[in-house]
Amino acid sequence: MPAWYLQRWEKFATKVAFISEEATCTYADLVNFYQQAAATLAQLQLTEPQGFALMGDHGPVSTAWLFLLQEQGHWVVPLSTAAGDHAEKLTQVPVHWVIQTTATQASVVRAEVAKHDVIATELTALRHGLVLFSSGTSGRPKIMVQDLPNLLSRYESRRENHLRILVLLGFDHIGGLNTLWGALAAGSTLVVVAHRAPSTVLTALAKYQVNVLPASPTFLNLLVVAGEWSQYDLSALRLITYGTEPMPPSLLERLRALLPHVRLVQTFGTTETGILQTESVSADSTFLRLVDPAVEWKVIDGELWLKSQTQIKGYFRQTSNAFTADGWFRTGDRVEQAADGSLRILGREGESINVGGEKLMPVEVETVLLENSQVVDCRVYGVPNLLTGQTVVADIVTSATAAPELLRAQLRQLCRQRLPRYKVPTQINFVSTVSGARLKKTR
Amino acid sequence: MLNRTQVAALVFRRLALIGQELAKPELVQADEQTRLFGQASQLDSIGLVTLIADLEQDLREATGQSVQLVNEKALSRLTSPFRRVGLLIDYITELLNKPA
Repeated sequence: MPAWYLQRWEKFATKVAFISEEATCTYADLVNFYQQAAATLAQLQLTEPQGFALMGDHGPVSTAWLFLLQEQGHWVVPLSTAAGDHAEKLTQVPVHWVIQTTATQASVVRAEVAKHDVIATELTALRHGLVLFSSGTSGRPKIMVQDLPNLLSRYESRRENHLRILVLLGFDHIGGLNTLWGALAAGSTLVVVAHRAPSTVLTALAKYQVNVLPASPTFLNLLVVAGEWSQYDLSALRLITYGTEPMPPSLLERLRALLPHVRLVQTFGTTETGILQTESVSADSTFLRLVDPAVEWKVIDGELWLKSQTQIKGYFRQTSNAFTADGWFRTGDRVEQAADGSLRILGREGESINVGGEKLMPVEVETVLLENSQVVDCRVYGVPNLLTGQTVVADIVTSATAAPELLRAQLRQLCRQRLPRYKVPTQINFVSTVSGARLKKTR
Repeated sequence: MLNRTQVAALVFRRLALIGQELAKPELVQADEQTRLFGQASQLDSIGLVTLIADLEQDLREATGQSVQLVNEKALSRLTSPFRRVGLLIDYITELLNKPA
């Protein structure tokens, strides 16, 4: 009896599974790629689970291998083409094989790296595993092992739809994989772009009449800043889901004004727990409700704690105090809880700024700064200060041509009206771009 | 390098701007005796950090050099240079004209 997803793909047969500049592929093609991969894997004559580095981008070949390998108990380390850190990652996780994939082909070679010894308990942990890396706030990447069959089973309940979904996050990111799995369980079409430049994405949205765009607030802000929406036909776009970092309320407002026909929905997830089912309180609210029956949650000292049925099996060769003895995961996300129990994500624990013992999150200040129409983008952070421990600094990208002195005074005035004294930036710099994703976990 | 008169002009200009921002006429009309930080002073700690950040920027623009006004040495002085306006002007002048 073939797995549930294979049965579905056979049923979806003529529907398009993937569209990219290089190729268009139907669900029947996807099944073919899966069978080809199965034949190749059989030739390796493996008698026990082994590790596979799976290199490539979203596409039918990489997807076929991902599903196949977990079925047979192997562990997979997905490595996105765009990331340049493959060698470094492969020194940390034992893999025996490297699969290089393109939109239509795969090549399998023995891993060149010196063979690691895998002890029995590790083998148990890695079996059927999906190995993902995330850079924690402490800097050192965390290596996490997810139970892939368990994770995939969450998608079986998806009902069929005919949506076209653009996938931005990579093949090595839980958010990108969530989009992939959700789409393939429901017979949707995934639109894959070669790179994430605003104009490339807007072109793809128009050309392929995309209905759903999952994106980070940072990326959406880039699109707004680029100011090119109006040149593209986005009439098919119905839904934008946003997550991975806090949404500044003022950006949400701008998006709603620019795209009145599009529904904006917040998502939430972590690599440790998988993506959670959530509901936005309303379209203009950055508060959300966690409504996932498979997830328990609580807020401890302003930090969100989760207990999920799709929790990782563990960190690989690393110790961490992120999980409590009774299985709660400390997300490291600061949240604000409204009276009705809904939550607003404020940012990462490690990003809080401590001014003379009073803590604040960058997003609180960024939200206020973005209210000034001359502020195109901004980034707020703390720098060490001998007088107050840390002090609040704001980097501002502005459209104003007037004297910076004037705008600086206006922004401070605005912050003073809206924020407690200690949250007001003591230093405001005008810059041409702000780097890094706002409050992104992988900063 | 800036002499004391030039530094004083720069400091008073900045105090006037911050005084306007904070609606503190005492800062707009400040003289060398005006108390900045500490007892009976015009600025709280955030205000002082702001003033220092602004002054560092002004000095950078005026001299083309990066100047750090707050350091362990300044903070450990018996008489804090941030106590009164005149002391701050003395301190900045000294800092700028110190042999590298």
